[in-house]
Amino acid sequence: MRRNVTFRIVVDPIRCDGFGHCAELAPELVTLDEWGYPILQAEAFPQSDREIRRSAQLAVRGCPRQALTVQKIIAAQS
Amino acid sequence: MGLTSPYLWYTSRISGVISLVMLTLVIVLGILISTRVGGRRVGRFEITEMHRSISLIAMIFVAIHVVTTVIDTYVNIHWISAVVPMTSSYRRLPVAIGTVALDLMLAVWLSSQLKERIDPRAWRALHFSSYASFVAAAIHSYLVGTDERSLWGLIVLGSCVAVVLLATVWRVVGRPERAVGRTALSPLEQSKGR
Amino acid sequence: MTVELTTRRVLANHLDHPKNLSEHEADFGPINRLSITIDVLRDSGITGRGGAAFPTAKKVEFLLQQRRVTRYVVVNAMEGEPAAHKDRMLLATNPHLVLDGAMVLANLLNADSVIICVAREHLKTITQVKAAIAQRGAKRLQGPSFEVQSPPGRYVAGEESALVHWLNSNETLPQYRPTRPSIQQIGRGGVLLDNAETHANIGLIARHGAEWFRSVGTATRPGTTVTSVTGNGKAVVLEVPYGTAIRSILSGAGIHYEPRALLLGGYGGTWLDGKHLDVGFDDDSLRPFGAGTGAGVIMALPPESCGVAECARIVDYMAKESARQCGPCAFGLPAMAEDLKALTSGRNASHSLSRLTSRSNVIEGRGACRHPDGVIRLVRTALNVFAEDFSHHAAGQPCQFAHSARVSYIPHQSDVKDLEWE
Repeated sequence: MRRNVTFRIVVDPIRCDGFGHCAELAPELVTLDEWGYPILQAEAFPQSDREIRRSAQLAVRGCPRQALTVQKIIAAQS
Repeated sequence: MGLTSPYLWYTSRISGVISLVMLTLVIVLGILISTRVGGRRVGRFEITEMHRSISLIAMIFVAIHVVTTVIDTYVNIHWISAVVPMTSSYRRLPVAIGTVALDLMLAVWLSSQLKERIDPRAWRALHFSSYASFVAAAIHSYLVGTDERSLWGLIVLGSCVAVVLLATVWRVVGRPERAVGRTALSPLEQSKGR
Repeated sequence: MTVELTTRRVLANHLDHPKNLSEHEADFGPINRLSITIDVLRDSGITGRGGAAFPTAKKVEFLLQQRRVTRYVVVNAMEGEPAAHKDRMLLATNPHLVLDGAMVLANLLNADSVIICVAREHLKTITQVKAAIAQRGAKRLQGPSFEVQSPPGRYVAGEESALVHWLNSNETLPQYRPTRPSIQQIGRGGVLLDNAETHANIGLIARHGAEWFRSVGTATRPGTTVTSVTGNGKAVVLEVPYGTAIRSILSGAGIHYEPRALLLGGYGGTWLDGKHLDVGFDDDSLRPFGAGTGAGVIMALPPESCGVAECARIVDYMAKESARQCGPCAFGLPAMAEDLKALTSGRNASHSLSRLTSRSNVIEGRGACRHPDGVIRLVRTALNVFAEDFSHHAAGQPCQFAHSARVSYIPHQSDVKDLEWE
């Protein structure tokens, strides 16, 4: 049984104040709606994708309100 | 034994002036962050990075200023006076105000280094004391410069105060469109062709 | 109103005043030694009557499994939904039934405190509940203590996390709860929160058992539902078994015209076309039509009214009731309200229709609570049920009723400031 580890970027919508840094730092994962708030990519990305992981980490660290987290999803795969 | 030298004194003064200028820059950059400027030619995250780097530079110059002032035996200021106000025998009030500025700056800077570990609302409230720190630094700068008041010193001080004042008014009064919710990158902005 | 239609359980033997303790015990039986087991609760299959319809036994089991002690049972009688009156009617009729339910749940969980939350504007209800509590106090029973708390009656104040947050910190602000199920707390004590009608039913299950409870209603929604029916200028509260045909409920409430459409569940609910009156009022029957029972609200729209205009009024109200914590809700709902306003008048409405749809898709699921999702549900079902009306309005040809008398009750909203920009 192999473990399939994927990641997803998640926002706390109450903390988020629409600064938009995340869309600059991780454009593959975040777009902004017409009011400047993030629309996050719902699909999880694989652990092996280093570039996207790096973007996600930059976005998390760059958020002025610390509203972002990276959620790890572990699914058993037989 | 005394450690003194005109160069120590010059360094103390010059680093003080540079600290004030750096503090001005930090505050202006902070205001640019909160008014959500940028996104087209300059990334917003770049402005935030600048804000963080320059605040570090500011703290370094403040450290140089404090250290050179304290170790210089020409003026009698003990280490404790750097953090506890009204304990200096040399020019008690002007130094005290500088001490207050330093205490506030330390609180803001340290809390930002520990930003992930502390309550976001507490961090935000504390961060606003950077304005108070600037006011204290400006008053300190004006008062300690009394015996050596020079025109360029006043010009620098006046310019810093004017810049911070203008930027603050601009932040409070607001940009023409409400800052929150409007972003250079948002599709609405792009569709307006601006 | 025929006897076969309504099955009065929690509203049984309605008097002109709230039943006092002796009248209550004469009708329903004594309250000392009243208790319930988790098995009976589970077998009854009772689901919440506050709108979410979550199985109550599951909530209680979750708390029983926790290491953290459950100290509070909260009765949600906030009734922030403007079209709902059932909780107030219940507390004006059989307040002790609600307290009975809360008491047996508290004893099951070893909680020492029951908090009944009534909106501070509902002064009569506050008085009624306090009187009932005092009557019980005089009897000096074992069991939890009772108290009334009164948050301001904003729409979101009745939302579960907002209510608990108010009890903790005096602000009616919904909380971000990414992991569910999660345990809510007041201070360090765990909380069980349920709607007042749910508690009242549990007060009866404790006396008559699970099978009795299941003897009316449907398999997935056993028991009765207390419905708030509006649409003929009055608000009528009617207790019927789940699954009762909507037509019967309407006629029982004195609505004898053929409605153009019905709004079910509340202002964050779903529209149903008026031709589906024979559908049963329960979630399984309504689901194929994209509708649900929600908080038991039924608002009938007479033929001489405008669905577009009613939606515009409701969405405008709901936008102003946003807690303004999350961008998509704080900005998105007013934007949708603007679109609906344009569509109502028919002026500058050419893009409003497509914007409504695209904005609904963008806003959905991006708030901390379900407030914006409710509004989106309302709009989407409206676009479906009133499709023709919407396209006429969008083409600049509003119907003749767009400016006429209003059906939906919009309460006065005070201190709604412009969204501050930081």
